[in-house]
Parts: sequence; C-alpha cells; structure tokens
Amino acid sequence: MKILIIEDEPELNASIASYLRGQGYLCESVFTFAEAQERVETFDYDCVLLDITLQDGSGLDILRSLKQSGKTEGVLIISARHSLDDKVEGLTLGADDYLAKPFHLSELGARVSAIIRRKQFGGNNLVQFGDLVLDTMAHTAKVADKELDLTRKEYQLLLYFACNRGRVLSKNAIAEHLWGEDLGGGVNYDFIYTHIKNLRRKLMDAGTGDHIQSVYGMGYKFSAP
Amino acid sequence: MKLFTRYARVNFLATILVLIVGSFCYFFIIRFVLIRQLDDALKIEEAEILDYVAQKGKLPEPTNYKDQMIVFGPAEKGLKRQFRSTYQDPEGNRGHEPFRQLEFPIEAGGVRFSVTVSKSQVETEDLLWLIVAITVGVIILLLLIQFLLNRYLLQRIWTPFYGTLGAIQKFNLQSRSPLQRHPSDIDEFSSLDLAVNQMTDKIIGDYQALKDFADNASHEMQTPLAVINSKLDLLLQERDITELQGRHLQAMYDAVGRMSRLNQSLLLLTKIGNDQFGRGASVALHDLVREKVAQLEEMAVAHKLQFTTHVEEATVNMDPYLADILLNNLFSNSIRHNTEGGSVRVDLRQGTLEVANTGEPLPFEADRIFDRFAKGKHSESTGLGLAIVRQICEVHGCTISYRWTGIEHLFTLVF
Repeated sequence: MKILIIEDEPELNASIASYLRGQGYLCESVFTFAEAQERVETFDYDCVLLDITLQDGSGLDILRSLKQSGKTEGVLIISARHSLDDKVEGLTLGADDYLAKPFHLSELGARVSAIIRRKQFGGNNLVQFGDLVLDTMAHTAKVADKELDLTRKEYQLLLYFACNRGRVLSKNAIAEHLWGEDLGGGVNYDFIYTHIKNLRRKLMDAGTGDHIQSVYGMGYKFSAP
Repeated sequence: MKLFTRYARVNFLATILVLIVGSFCYFFIIRFVLIRQLDDALKIEEAEILDYVAQKGKLPEPTNYKDQMIVFGPAEKGLKRQFRSTYQDPEGNRGHEPFRQLEFPIEAGGVRFSVTVSKSQVETEDLLWLIVAITVGVIILLLLIQFLLNRYLLQRIWTPFYGTLGAIQKFNLQSRSPLQRHPSDIDEFSSLDLAVNQMTDKIIGDYQALKDFADNASHEMQTPLAVINSKLDLLLQERDITELQGRHLQAMYDAVGRMSRLNQSLLLLTKIGNDQFGRGASVALHDLVREKVAQLEEMAVAHKLQFTTHVEEATVNMDPYLADILLNNLFSNSIRHNTEGGSVRVDLRQGTLEVANTGEPLPFEADRIFDRFAKGKHSESTGLGLAIVRQICEVHGCTISYRWTGIEHLFTLVF
C-alpha cells in the first residue's frame, strides 16, 4: 500500500510517515506544491494525504488535477481547523475524507485504513485480526463466525483498535474518536474505562482472548494476546 | 430640551423685554418732544399777546377755537408764569379732553391780568397712541416670524444633525456597516458628519484588524499543535516508558487537548461573530436532543448520573452545525460540572429547552456565567463553551438564561 504525504510542515510530515510506516504502509513525503504536483502526475498511490495550505499553492488544485486526469487515489485532506469552506469544497471536488489539525495519528490511521478499504477492488469491507472479523458495511464483529453482541460504541471502539493494531492509543484519542472533540474532550476519561472493560469481557467471552492491554495507565493497545 | 427650543425661549424673552422697555422709552421721549412742540406754540401765542398789549395798551379779544383758547382773568397775587397739562372741554370747563396750558401774568392799562393760553393735546395723544399701536404690532409680527423661523427653518437646518445623531445611535460594530452619510450645507454639521464617519470607519477597521489577528493567531497555532500532538502519539509507541513518564505524557496530552479546544473555540467565536454561518434551516431539535442525550448517557456511566428527559417535538431555525455545538456545549457542561451520583434533567417543549444539573454552586457571580473565560480556578474546561452558546443564541435571536435553584444549575433556552 503506497501513501503520498503532502504536508509542508516537515516535522508533522515525518510523524505521519513514521506512524503509517509502523502500520505497514509505504510512505513518500513531499513538502511543496510543485513536488506534489510532479509526484501525483508520475506515480500512482493508494492514498494521498493532502494539506490544503502549501507555501507555493493550494492543495485543492492538486486535488482538481488528480480528478481531472481520472486517477483513482483515495484523498484525505488534512487542513487547518474550521476551514469549513475548505472542507465542503474539498469533499465536493472528490476528496474521500477530511481531518482537521491538530489530530491524533491513530485517528489518521483509522481514516486512512477506511479509505484504502473502500478503494480496494470490489470494496473490501472486512477487517480481520486473528479470528476476529469486522464487517464495516454491516457494522458487525464476528469471532469464528459467531456474531458478538456489541453496542454501537463498542463496535466503533473495536474497529478503531483493529485499524491501529499494535499501537498505543491514548485515552484522549479514544474519547475524541468516539464522541467527537466537543463532547469527548475535557471531561473525565473514566467513562472510557467502563466501555473498554465491557468490550474486553465480551471478547474474552467469545473466546478470542484478551487483546486489549492497558499501557502506562494512560492508553490502550490492541494486539495478539 | 432641544438646543433651538432653549435658544428660542431665551430669544423670545429677551426680545419681548427689549421691545417693552424700548417702547416705554420711545413713548415717553416722543411725548416729551411733542409737548415741547406744543409749549413752543404756546410761547409764540404768549409773545403775540405781549406784543399786542405793548402796542395797543389793552388786552386782545379772548378766542375760543376748538383747539386753541385764550382766556383772561384777574391775576391772583404771586401769579407766576407756568406750563401745565389739564383736562377740560372746549368751553373752558373741566372736562375730558387733554389740553396744554400756559398761564402768565400781564399788565394792561395798569391792571394785572392773568392770561391762560390752552392748546388741545388731542392730536398729540392720538399720534402717541398710533405710535404705540404700531410698536405693539411690530412686536407681535416679530415674535410670530421668530416662532415660524424656529419652527420650520431651524428644524430644516438641523435635520442633518439629527440624521448624524440617529446614525451614531444605531451604529453597531458587529454589523460592520459604515454610517450613512448626512450631507449638509452648514459647515459645522457637515464637518461633524465627516468626523463621525471617519471615526467609525477607523473603529470598524481596527475592530476587523483585531478579529483578523485573533483568527490568524489561532490558525497559526494549529500547525505547531499538530506537530506536538503527533510527536506525543509517536512517543507513546516507544517501548520502555516508565509509569512516571506515562503520567507526564498524559499531562501533556491533556494540555495540548485543552489548547487545541481553546483554539477551536476562539476560531468558532470569531466565525459566528463574523456572521460566517447561514441563518440556518429548520432543525428538528427533538431528534438532536435525543441523540445527544443518548451519547451523554453512554459517557456518564462512570459518573453514575441519573438522567430524566422529557422531549416533545420542537423545531428551531438555526444553522445545523451551530445547533449541534449549542447542544454539545450545554450538555457536556451539565456532565462536567456535576457531582458523582448527581442528576441531569432535560426538558424540551416547543419554544423552550431546559437543561438542569446538580453540582456545586458557582464560584463566581451568576451573571458572569456566559462571559468568556468565566470558570472555576481548577476547571479543565476552556471557559468558552457557554460564551459560544450565548453567541449562537444572539445570532439566531434566541435567549439563554441561567439560574441556580439552590440544588440545580438551570439553563433555559427560549427559541
């Protein structure tokens, strides 16, 4: 899976690349409009991460030329917060998703994973992890063909973990993923613990083992037991 | 009192006073002059009589015309020449007609006589009264003209001034529309209008610059925040992080999260203030409230909060995005400032939404609750949530109020 990261802030670009490489993606980083334009014309990618405000041009123009040349790359716009107009314009132009800065890398990981899943031939809507299979169309999770009885939040939480397997997710990232930043941010994070406890119990009851580890008291990691 | 009413009042009084005093002086001066003229005429008569007596040695015949009488009589002892004004009738008896008399002694044929020459003063008086009448007429005319001038001309002259004044009163910095000009051919008014316009244009410009600054500053902060956030996410993936380092990381996460929400809230406030949202569509509030309450209940499990909801169908005309934020802020507020095992009550009816929650009393005055950065000292919140709620309400013509009932914080939204 090849991902092109177009982001003019070198440190942010490096962070994204580092995280996504850890997820098993091939990443290429470019920092300017000119470089980006050249790269998307010459090569094909599975997903393009696109910053709209570049020093020497607008990322929206890159999006336009991508769509005009009939390329099928999934495009995820990463942009300054609250440029609602940018968001609307980007999505109208054919971007697949939009993520406002600052974001958690795990959130980015989940979004990229969703885009790639959709773009795959025939639309692969299954996320597998060991004997656990999530169907992102039907919003169900199965262990050995037996459907788990999950609440909506538990399903979302499980999918979030599965898309960021092997990585430590902070409570903050989890709260904001599940409830959005307005509600999820700034309140006591104890409520996450309750949901994780329930999810863990249901997974163990289904016989797939304890995938969720608490890490340093500040986050959770989803990996093979 | 209006300037020209006061001015006109003073002007009226002064005019009347001057005219009355003036006409009194006028009356007496003219009267004095006219009587002196009569006296001169009486002196001429006297000289003629004296001449006659000197030449002829006897008294002339007494005359009795309508306006002039000469009467001779025996001279009393010690008679002196004197002028006087009397009233008498043309026959010489005391009457009602004013006369001017000159009485003087004369010797004819060795006998002393008194001569009284009288001239009618009627014409003089008539003249005087005519003059008085004309004066009074002029005064009345003058006052009338002044009144009309004040009423119509002055009012027209002052119209641009009141226009400018009205524009200043209606000036609203939020709407950022420049003042309407009120041109006038009066120098003072047109320069006032110009000065006020320049001033408001400058205020609008400065205000805009300030808003842009806040906007730009918030925007510029996003990238560094994104860098910090991403580095924290990477740091978290490192092996061999100790418990203590983990706690440090958590503190940093929380701080960055707060900073980023603060930033987001400031941008949102600016955007609402800049009117960058639409007037909105009809939002089905009952659906939105139900959805939010469901989310809240999921979040509030750990707090053991009791939820009571009453939801009737209600719609509000609002930008859907802002309606979402409004409810988010109100509801997350009710959880954040609640106590363990407390309760949240949500009551939606057409026209009103009540959100009440148990909690500690406010650490500041109740009327500051919607102000920016009004929050308890150790609160983790941005202090902007309720300011945003109020701003959203203002933009959409709704009202939000707060009351502490003694056990509950009660927010009432009227839409």
